Amino acid sequence: MSNDRRAFLRQLLIGGASVSALAACGGQGGSEGGEDLPDDPPKVNPGPDEPPVESGGVKGTESMSFIAIGDMGTGNIGQYHVAEAMRQIIEAQGCDFVLGAGDNIYEDGVTSVDDNGFLDSFEYPYQNLDVPFYMCLGNHDCASTIFGGGSDNQRGDYQVDYHYSDKRYSTKWRMPARFYKESFGKLTQEKPFLDLFVVDSNPLTSFYIDFDERFNWKNYGYPQQLWMKEAVNESEAHWKIAMSHVPYLSNGKHGNAGNLDEGMRVIFSNPDADGQRYKLFLEEAFSSKIDMLVTGHDHSLQWIKPVESMGPAHIIVSGAGGKSDKFQDPERNPTHYQAENELGFVWVHLTEERMLLEFYLVNEDTGEFRLGYSREETKPVQEVAVPTPA
Amino acid sequence: MKRRDFLVKSSAAGVSLVALSACNGAGSGGEEVVTATSDGNAGGPGVAGTPGLAKPAMPEWGGPSPFQHGVASGDPLARQVILWTRITAEGLDEVPVIVRVSRDPEFSDVVYEGMGYARSQADYTVKIDAMLPEANTTWFYQFESLGYFSAIGRTKTTAHGHQSVEHLRLAVMACANYSYGFFNAYRKVAFRRDLDAVLFLGDYIYEYGPGEYGDPEVEALRPLDPPHEIVTLSDYRRRYALNRTDQDLQECHRQHPFICVWDDHEFADNTWSDGAANHNEGEGDFGDRKRAAVQAYYEWMPIRPVLPDREVRIYRSFEFGQLASLMMLDTRLIGRDQQTDSPVTARDRNRSLLGDDQQSWLFEQLEHSQSRGAQWHLLGQQVMLAPLTLGALPDTPNLDLGGGAQVNYDQWDGYETSRRALLGRIEAMGLDNAVVLTGDIHSSWAMDVSLDPGNWFAYNRFTGEGSIAVEFVTPAVSSPGAPTKGISDLAKAFLIPANPHIKWLDFYHRGYMILDVTPERCQADWFHLETVSEPSNQEHFAMGWYTASGDNHIQASKVPCAPKHNAPPLAPEHNVQQEALA
Repeated sequence: MSNDRRAFLRQLLIGGASVSALAACGGQGGSEGGEDLPDDPPKVNPGPDEPPVESGGVKGTESMSFIAIGDMGTGNIGQYHVAEAMRQIIEAQGCDFVLGAGDNIYEDGVTSVDDNGFLDSFEYPYQNLDVPFYMCLGNHDCASTIFGGGSDNQRGDYQVDYHYSDKRYSTKWRMPARFYKESFGKLTQEKPFLDLFVVDSNPLTSFYIDFDERFNWKNYGYPQQLWMKEAVNESEAHWKIAMSHVPYLSNGKHGNAGNLDEGMRVIFSNPDADGQRYKLFLEEAFSSKIDMLVTGHDHSLQWIKPVESMGPAHIIVSGAGGKSDKFQDPERNPTHYQAENELGFVWVHLTEERMLLEFYLVNEDTGEFRLGYSREETKPVQEVAVPTPA
Repeated sequence: MKRRDFLVKSSAAGVSLVALSACNGAGSGGEEVVTATSDGNAGGPGVAGTPGLAKPAMPEWGGPSPFQHGVASGDPLARQVILWTRITAEGLDEVPVIVRVSRDPEFSDVVYEGMGYARSQADYTVKIDAMLPEANTTWFYQFESLGYFSAIGRTKTTAHGHQSVEHLRLAVMACANYSYGFFNAYRKVAFRRDLDAVLFLGDYIYEYGPGEYGDPEVEALRPLDPPHEIVTLSDYRRRYALNRTDQDLQECHRQHPFICVWDDHEFADNTWSDGAANHNEGEGDFGDRKRAAVQAYYEWMPIRPVLPDREVRIYRSFEFGQLASLMMLDTRLIGRDQQTDSPVTARDRNRSLLGDDQQSWLFEQLEHSQSRGAQWHLLGQQVMLAPLTLGALPDTPNLDLGGGAQVNYDQWDGYETSRRALLGRIEAMGLDNAVVLTGDIHSSWAMDVSLDPGNWFAYNRFTGEGSIAVEFVTPAVSSPGAPTKGISDLAKAFLIPANPHIKWLDFYHRGYMILDVTPERCQADWFHLETVSEPSNQEHFAMGWYTASGDNHIQASKVPCAPKHNAPPLAPEHNVQQEALA
């Protein structure tokens, strides 16, 4: 692509709307990167066109909404149809940000910050949406083959670099680090309304071994685990939501962490492909601490009921943002709702006490969409009054 | 702190300590923990001898000394240690028992006085959690009751977690079958002045009846009580009492604090969380048997008491200064799924050896130990962690295959998922200097622990590269290994080539292990007994294996570690001055 064309597209896509869009969003706190690889570019603030937005002001945040999508980066018509449905819902119901649960750019990620993949799988499909997208790395973002084997984790770094690039086409893409925490809104002066914890699951579970030792369990997995545990423990936020690509529980073909890809695993080389260590990672970092865990990887929509090992958290699989698939075992985990073979997304509305989830299904060919399921719940993790020292 | 100050403090603290105890569990992380005993004994106020506090009223007793089962101490912390004795006085209940702790065996510098009651509910055993003024110090203690003094015991507090410790020596023992041999090993360990503690890794008693599992000639000299397989609470109590009449065992307890965990024979052969191989329906509900066994264990062993509903949880940790953390595990009872004999089931991802709670606890402890900068991370547990196969092959978890033909699925070999979780954690943490101490198998082993010992790419059998921990297995006090040395050598010649991570083993000898820990290295010295068929004090140094700090694999040593300099004296049996006064 020539530089002229790039500049033209950038003008076209930025189009003056994005900055105001930021003001409309419920507010963005400081993000905390979880990773410090020596080769990374300096992590400065994401450009002058993004002043940190004070939200709430004197009055605290009363509610927030977000949309969770995953496995969306095909660049195909289906992704555009889901984007259009999202736009209509955002217009009608509001939305402060989008969670992108990984596989952002099919089939094998990007190989530079100038890669066309950012355009084809992100900027074009979501050009009509003016909300920030908080992104998570998936196995296809860290793969060098279309199979998505996840053995090329270094590729994920370009998706972080894009967050800091002044050549990007919009300001929507948010991935301040490979794993990170982001705070949203303010319930009180000291207390964020919501903290988001984003896990980089691919190095922990890839199908094939990444021989780049920076990404093995010792150098990457365990330090990430310690970082995540500490970040969650220190979080003062009212709502705590975690996002990762590989599911903790899923009724799709990838299945439950600890026994991932049961039928496929025989052709994998990584002994961690079953997700045994990943399962403990999630439980140790998040169990009984978070309200919701959002994952992708299986191309369906699922609302899995809380399980003892993860505490009261509701477990959402939203991996139908660009591809759809059938369930492998719809009975594997009890659900409130699940939908296979259809594209879609989940819209979430949080107030101080309640959460409302709406599952939207999108016809891949026609773009028609409908509300598949809606349910309101009380906030899963109840605040425990801190006893004052005697 | 002056003695008087301390006594006063411990008196004043008494009430709050007892109150605190209600919400405390087993000691962990080396924290000071005060707990109530199930029968209401509590370490706390100084009573006798403290001015202003009256001696309790003693019942009349014209019989012999009530201290028939000796004294014991255990679960040492930096400022606390459990002191144990039992009162044998027929017809009496609620017998007050006083204990004094002194810096010297003459009791000229008493630092603690406490009182408990011998009650029928606890089989007349008494435990007092003594609060002591100094860490890493040897103490002498003596009980008094019914006009008699017990033998003098000797114990030692551990160093605070932040203290620097240059040298730690632990005896490691397991598997003491009363009718299979004399307890010569206990006697040899008793006379080692320089030990910090004795780790007992289980099978302290055996459940069998006469003729079921013993050496007939020894059994003729050491008849079992009760004379049948033990099933009820009274049975278990009697079997502990029988073992404790053994003078060698009494002497070992008298001289050293013990840190104990149970294995299967404290219940029945090959116990798991909800049953045992040696349990049948005719013997009643296994839950009842388990409760009886747990109760008797807490009564008779110098383990720190917890509230009764927590007693089944014996996994706990200790700190020996900056030098070492010790995590004692229960691989037997609390979380173990039933044994299998199928290599496929052994790899079932839903099966567990530790149970989720204990595994989480263990990983937290490892993290804590690493972050506090402990030099060594010791795991005291029951069954062999490293695989034992008839031909090691590379492990291929994605095929649910590998490791070769395993021979004993009662070990970690039968719980592949739990082993992968533990080794995977050690590997991910980059945890150096993990040392696994094991009992159960009545034989001596020195091994590297690798994620995949049969895989040439993962583990170099010549250099030990790729090993992430080491494992030392202690032989039995008296339970049998191979019937002859010839058979032992034959097995060794076959097993070592088939298991490249196993560097040494001996199936024949009984004995014990001395673990000698310094900042530079951790060495296990095996001492083997000449015989257990008769009382004997003959032993020989069999072999030493050590791991240098940071190596995570073992090397041989032809000489045992030197004993500690300036080890404190052993406890004399009686206080000479006291005898003179009497």
